[in-house]
Amino acid sequence: MGKRSRWSLAVVLALMLALFTVACGESKDDEADSGSGSADAGTTDCGKVVLNEQAWAGSTANTYIAKAVLEDKLGCTVEITKLAEIPVFQAMADGKVDAVLEDWQHVDEYAKYIDKAGTVVQGGPLGVEGHIGWFIPKYLMDEHPEFKTWEGLKGKEDLFKTAESGDQGMFLGGDPSYVQKDKELIEALGLNFKHVTAGAEPAQVARWSQLYKQKEPVIFYWYTPQYLNQEYDLAEVKLPPRTEANKDCKDDAKEGGDPAQYKCEYDVTIINKLFSKKFAESGSPAYPVLKNMKLTNEDQEQVAKAIAGDKEDPEKAGQDWVDANSETVNSWLE
Amino acid sequence: MAVASGRIAAPAAFAPTSRWRGKPAQVGAIVGLWLVAYFLLKGQNLDWPASLTWEELPRKLDDAQDWLLEQRTADNPNPVFAVLEGFRSLCEWLVTAFIDIFEWLTWVGTIAASVLIVWRFGGWRAALIVFGAFVSFALMGLWEESIQTLGLMLAAVLLSLAVGIPIGVLAGRREGFHRAITPGLDAMQIVPAFAYLMPIVILFSVGPGAAVICTMIYAIPPAVRITALGIRGVTKDSVEAAQAFGSTPAQTLFKVQLPLARRQLLLSVNQTIMFALSLVVIAGLIGGKGLGDVVTNGLYSNAALAILAGIAIVIMAIALDRATSAIAERTDPTRQHLTDERRRRARRMTLLTFGLIAAIVVVARALGADALYPDEFETSTTVYTATIDDDLLGWIQDALDYVQDPASFIFGITEPVGNFLLQKFLEPLRLVLVETPWFFVLSGFTAIAFVLSGLRPAITTFLMLVVIGVIGVWAEAMDTASQVLVATALAVFFGILIGVWAAESPRVERVLRPLLDTLQTLPQLVYIIPFIYLMPVSRIPGVVASVLYAIPVVIRLVTAGVRGVSPTAVEAASAFGASRMQVLLKVKIPLARESIMLGVNQGIIMVLAVVVIGGLVGSGALGDMVARGLQRNEFGEGVVASIAILALGIALDRVTQGQRRVQPR
Repeated sequence: MGKRSRWSLAVVLALMLALFTVACGESKDDEADSGSGSADAGTTDCGKVVLNEQAWAGSTANTYIAKAVLEDKLGCTVEITKLAEIPVFQAMADGKVDAVLEDWQHVDEYAKYIDKAGTVVQGGPLGVEGHIGWFIPKYLMDEHPEFKTWEGLKGKEDLFKTAESGDQGMFLGGDPSYVQKDKELIEALGLNFKHVTAGAEPAQVARWSQLYKQKEPVIFYWYTPQYLNQEYDLAEVKLPPRTEANKDCKDDAKEGGDPAQYKCEYDVTIINKLFSKKFAESGSPAYPVLKNMKLTNEDQEQVAKAIAGDKEDPEKAGQDWVDANSETVNSWLE
Repeated sequence: MAVASGRIAAPAAFAPTSRWRGKPAQVGAIVGLWLVAYFLLKGQNLDWPASLTWEELPRKLDDAQDWLLEQRTADNPNPVFAVLEGFRSLCEWLVTAFIDIFEWLTWVGTIAASVLIVWRFGGWRAALIVFGAFVSFALMGLWEESIQTLGLMLAAVLLSLAVGIPIGVLAGRREGFHRAITPGLDAMQIVPAFAYLMPIVILFSVGPGAAVICTMIYAIPPAVRITALGIRGVTKDSVEAAQAFGSTPAQTLFKVQLPLARRQLLLSVNQTIMFALSLVVIAGLIGGKGLGDVVTNGLYSNAALAILAGIAIVIMAIALDRATSAIAERTDPTRQHLTDERRRRARRMTLLTFGLIAAIVVVARALGADALYPDEFETSTTVYTATIDDDLLGWIQDALDYVQDPASFIFGITEPVGNFLLQKFLEPLRLVLVETPWFFVLSGFTAIAFVLSGLRPAITTFLMLVVIGVIGVWAEAMDTASQVLVATALAVFFGILIGVWAAESPRVERVLRPLLDTLQTLPQLVYIIPFIYLMPVSRIPGVVASVLYAIPVVIRLVTAGVRGVSPTAVEAASAFGASRMQVLLKVKIPLARESIMLGVNQGIIMVLAVVVIGGLVGSGALGDMVARGLQRNEFGEGVVASIAILALGIALDRVTQGQRRVQPR
């Protein structure tokens, strides 16, 4: 290499270094500006709050409602992460996520992170109640009113026959990651259904919504609150009720064992808010507000429908709801 | 089993052996016996015996994860965690640094810097592609997400190369070391990322740092493999000549082997980028922000948006690929015979380029350009929308609506095809694999491996199948195997047809290239969504996904193989008056047999890599177990299923590898 080439190389390197230091220096300033909510213990300045949005429209709705309230009323900076349901527990333990507003009872993780390690704390119910069950399209229910209860299905299973269920009826199972016991229920109830897994929820929705559009019979695992319930007219098949006699009845087939012990309808799922312990003890003004936050199934479905159904901007949908429900919001701020 | 295998040497000479001719007959006989066993003994539930199963394994693995978690949350954690934390901060710092640089440059400066640098070192064609890529991120309204993904990728690729190239060099120089690490590399690529996501999160928490580490696990193997291939490809003569002149081993490495392996090293950069990008969606699950996030969340609430983000990932992959290969080509010292005058000019151009970039950045910042491309431009009177994502999303939604319409023309074709595949191929094959007593399946696969590949592969196949049985997932693994075999057969059939066609017609190859790139980098969940509507039968969308993912590799290997047939052989055949078709069928394809077999073999591995995606769209079996493993934290079960996928991969690889292990040294 000649002298000149070294010189030009040095200039290029120096230039890049200069750009780099300025860039980094500036970014440090940014961080100082925004600050971290969990670090500012004891101050009334809200700082940054990190909420995790779970991968479904309902969670998008309540997360953006919370964001609008915290930013609008408390002047917080809200950052939204989109971690998967299980890893988010570790994130809360590490103080990287402050709150999850819609957790569907991950009892195994509660035992590890809340009871044992104490790094995550319960934030009370969100007010939204999850309900899981067997659903069919309304048009089918009109045609076969006997499907109102599971007994009506007996002997009519072959109505639900498809290419893959052979001579049995097809029962379309839920997302494998959700709480379910349908295989066990089918066996315990003595129904001639083949349990077919469609895979993740978008795939399951694709399957039943298509049959719905064809006005074909279909029976599937489904739940509320879900924004699609506003788009499709569905009806529920009543499963054996929970009574005093079967109060030990289980819901999560993960526990294994005899199918008979699952022979009842799904219990109502209380949806919980969870907080990082660091956040709960930080003294952040956002904490009591999030702890007070309560929504109804209708609130949540309405906002979720605006976001997922009408493709509205989540920020706007959340803000609109907050503006229209100032009374509810004020009750959280007290 | 080289998942990312580079160049395939065409066999210089080839002698048809009677042994090969006998092979189809022998395999046929084995399959015949197998079928006899099936028809005689089906329905007797001769499943893998429980007494030969290690049932506590999943629980033990769960306990191991709990132990890890306890160690992590203990009051005085093990110092190892401090080291891991240091590594994570390094990764995170790197990602943030890249993103900060882009933001500091402003969006105008980012475009200017990337385009001008690529123009200077890679030529105007590549620069144009890079420019187009940035423009499309901007117009899609995904600028911020794209920049985040780009930062994540650059950090992951840089670190993967920093780890992978030295290991690759070592592996290239020492055969023993290479053989020792190969199983580890296989495992890193075949074990689905879903399975180790949770341990990664426990060890490294969440965020960009953890996402980079997760990506590195998948992206390091191609870097190691291709580098090793490159080093080994340096002819013995050059190395001996260097040694004869008294070079030390270090001199031989840095002055001879590395420079001569330059092309392979650059190919490894290129492949590392591609592999890293295919993990973007998974990285999104543990806090790697960017396009991956948009894809996963979009799938649940806005499929059109997920598809748009998927397209952005593809555009990024193509731009990075073209830019790196153009720079590699242009800066190849063996192609530049520079005079002093031209060298000076080149230096001036470089200085000019960087000066221009600096000027643009200064001006852009002075004029107050935003760090990120804005959604709208404001003038004193009006506000202009700066993106066209509403239109794009509308079009994608229209396409989706069409696909979802069961009365559509296309559905009338795809649905029966799907049902036919299921009823005539998948289900019968699954029954044969699941219902034939396990010892016939075990000996059948082993015997086929012996006939096709030899004794050692047969032993490996046997052992791997035994592992599957012992860990207690025999039935699931056989179900998955039936899907893998059908998918591979389809991928190989169409792959060979298209590959030969592309080899014969450069125009076809040119049209295919972007298409194949798209298939390799578009997140599978994105292109599989339409098939869930079009072929609404549980296992079929998964099979389609695997075929589409595997076919690019098969096509590329077949094309390279047929192209690589020595021209003398072709000329000789033509001289004897063979028609083009005859040359193709009698000379080119037989001579390219090695590459075609390699295509079959790689096809199987690629198909297996998509098994988990199959689980997410209803394929059940092993993929389902792995997907559940993360989402319901059944870690033990997820790991067991992953081990089975790996074992199945190795077994099927050995069955089909043929005699190619014999390498000229």
